[in-house]
Amino acid sequence: MFIILSQSSPDPMYKQITDQVRDAIASGGLAVGERLPSIRELSDALKTSAITVKRAYFDLENEGSIITRAGMGSFVAEIDRAKLRERKLEEFQCELQRIVRTGAKFGISLDDLVRLIAGIKEE
Amino acid sequence: MNPVLEARNLGKHYEGFSLHNVSLSVSPGMIFGIFGPNGAGKTTLIKLLAGQIAPESGEISLFCLGYGNSEVEIKDRIGYCPQEPPFYPDSTPVEIVRFAAPFFSRWDGAYFYGLLDRFHVNAEKKFRHLSLGQKTLFSLALALSHQPDLLLLDEPAAGLDDANRRFLLDTLRAFVADGNKAVIISSHVSDGLGEVAERVLFIAHGAMALTADKDDLLARWKWVHFREGALDKALVANLTALRRHPFGNSGLCSDFPTMSVSLAKAMAAGDVRVENARLSDVLVQLTQGG
Repeated sequence: MFIILSQSSPDPMYKQITDQVRDAIASGGLAVGERLPSIRELSDALKTSAITVKRAYFDLENEGSIITRAGMGSFVAEIDRAKLRERKLEEFQCELQRIVRTGAKFGISLDDLVRLIAGIKEE
Repeated sequence: MNPVLEARNLGKHYEGFSLHNVSLSVSPGMIFGIFGPNGAGKTTLIKLLAGQIAPESGEISLFCLGYGNSEVEIKDRIGYCPQEPPFYPDSTPVEIVRFAAPFFSRWDGAYFYGLLDRFHVNAEKKFRHLSLGQKTLFSLALALSHQPDLLLLDEPAAGLDDANRRFLLDTLRAFVADGNKAVIISSHVSDGLGEVAERVLFIAHGAMALTADKDDLLARWKWVHFREGALDKALVANLTALRRHPFGNSGLCSDFPTMSVSLAKAMAAGDVRVENARLSDVLVQLTQGG
């Protein structure tokens, strides 16, 4: 798992952690059933407070991404991968929308855009 | 355009401390920041520039004049705020100003009392009863009010609250806005006053560690965060202040424009993330880093 906390990000620290853990689960970087680092371990490594990590894990647990077993730690939940993918797709759609709008601002048509994307794939 | 101040190879020796080979040049319109850890020699340097002490080696010229021939004229044109204002503790600002003002040819009393008002400094209070922040502000008002061409401020933010610190920075920007005057500030906290400086000099153990344009410096120095295994060993070897942990690694890169080409692919894949470094990151690395 690759987690970086940014001081300059508009997102609060706990949200940066939940987002990156969720991404790691969605992309397969974290497998179902895999044990997450302990709160202490993660807060030490990221130089953040235990309360921040606790809050991130709490949110992840509430949304069903992880399960916490008392005395054993937190684990990646048996989640609906299709659902997670759907969520990522939604995020991706938002990003595309932004790109299409930026393109429109500078007179770049959808056809141009498709051609550009195809060009990137070939590289 | 001639520099407002130019110093070459300045040296000064005390028992247990010496400053050596410091050179700097300050152009009109510039705010110049001198930063370094405690005991680095910032105050010695500022005192040399302000003509409070004489260098044992090197040369200083201000407004193309030297202290040797033109000390009175130079001192009339600089506004110097020492770290510890040398005022008699039992006098009030009013008394201090009555004493000091006649020494300056361009003294502006109305401006001075306007500043004291703005700073909420009570002009009738004994100097020793003022808070640290108010002493700093009083000293600053005094330096500004004789309309100098160069401000020399040693730790000007000491004891200032957030609002006054911001006001100080705005005042300095306004001071140099006409492009003819200049400011030199020193501080041991570079992130605070670095915001306002266009050019910086880092000093440690009495020697210059670096002098550079701040924007250039911060364009070159970046934090590189990378997933384990995402970077070649050779690239990692270029990073300093390296910190590894199980969830990612971070290091400071000192020449990002050159390195960015080799990072591009890993950045696109999300395995490398780059973040701006702060002035203090660079300073600590250059003055204490290994």
